[in-house]
Amino acid sequence: MDYVDYYKILELKKDATADEIKKAYRKLARKYHPDLNPNNEEANKKFQQINEANEVLSDPVKRKKYDQHGKDWQHADQFNQQRQNQSRGRNSEYDAFGGFGGGDFSDFFSSMFGGGGARSSGKSPFKGQDFTAELQLNLLDVYTTHKQTLTVNGKQVRITIPAGVENGQKIKLPGYGSAGVNNGPPGDLFITFTIADDPKFKRKGNDIYINEELNLYTAVLGGEKIVETLNGKVKLNVPAGTQSDASLRLKGKGFPVYKKENQFGDLYVKWQVKVPTHLNKEQKELFEKLSQL
Amino acid sequence: MENNLISVEDICSFHNIEINFVRSLEEFGLVQTTIIKKTVFLDLEELAKLERCIRLSKDLEINLEGLHAVAQLLNQLYKMQNEVLQLKNELNYYHQVH
Repeated sequence: MDYVDYYKILELKKDATADEIKKAYRKLARKYHPDLNPNNEEANKKFQQINEANEVLSDPVKRKKYDQHGKDWQHADQFNQQRQNQSRGRNSEYDAFGGFGGGDFSDFFSSMFGGGGARSSGKSPFKGQDFTAELQLNLLDVYTTHKQTLTVNGKQVRITIPAGVENGQKIKLPGYGSAGVNNGPPGDLFITFTIADDPKFKRKGNDIYINEELNLYTAVLGGEKIVETLNGKVKLNVPAGTQSDASLRLKGKGFPVYKKENQFGDLYVKWQVKVPTHLNKEQKELFEKLSQL
Repeated sequence: MENNLISVEDICSFHNIEINFVRSLEEFGLVQTTIIKKTVFLDLEELAKLERCIRLSKDLEINLEGLHAVAQLLNQLYKMQNEVLQLKNELNYYHQVH
């Protein structure tokens, strides 16, 4: 494992005073705090590093030990002793931020100071680590609200998937993360939905787009065509003279609007006029007659 | 619905915060409480907002005005993130069609 330069992390010189350390920590914590950087893994990681650096440099005993052994930390005798302490568990104050991207100290810290850090023995309750999971669904799966059972960290979790969930959308299930520390609340479970494309129905927001073939005769003369929608078949009137690529909108026949009951997007049907390719003699003659009219 | 409610008194005792802190947050529109039979409750979604305020207040010593500003900016950020997500999906759709 690599040596971690805590001074560099806090952007400090080696002879920084306690006050300078405090100021540097506050400045960087404000910049990288997970609550101020939602969905930013990089910032969360940086925040953990800042906390770890502050944990060491703000404690005179730890700082002295760190300064003494620094890069040669692997050869210090007391490290073996500290390693034994690792079994006490690595839960720490920073687990409170586990939900923002994992919460342990670096291996470097654990080897040098034992697992967890001094404050881990405190009695303050801290939130458990959050879990993340990805759920792959088909488009039709998210057309209606339904329940699904997931196995997360060995536990069965039954969740309700609301209709209209977007591809890439995340939902939070409070309390389904790991158990809290010192009677702290459990972490949360974040589920990201990955919705596979449907070969027939293309989704764009809450609207659905489909391509429907139309034979030449119906396109020219008009008629009726039965079209499959997400909630059943509908009969559409095709006006005479319908062009290929012309489209029509079926209001309210699209995708359900997320968490808005009885609200739906629209369905857009694009006609693809199919020109006959194998004409028999009679048909050919008739088309020729038509062309001469 | 009531299963999703947790009493504010329990939350305050758990997080070791004054009930006045929650009241002040409510005055700033940062959390919304529900009163049932004279007991003040918080919805689970509101609990997440409250815990965020507690963390920001304790970790970064942000005052109420600061929390209010943070909440507004975060809401804008979430909106923009959702918009980006939707635009990405639309762009994917566009690439598939053309």
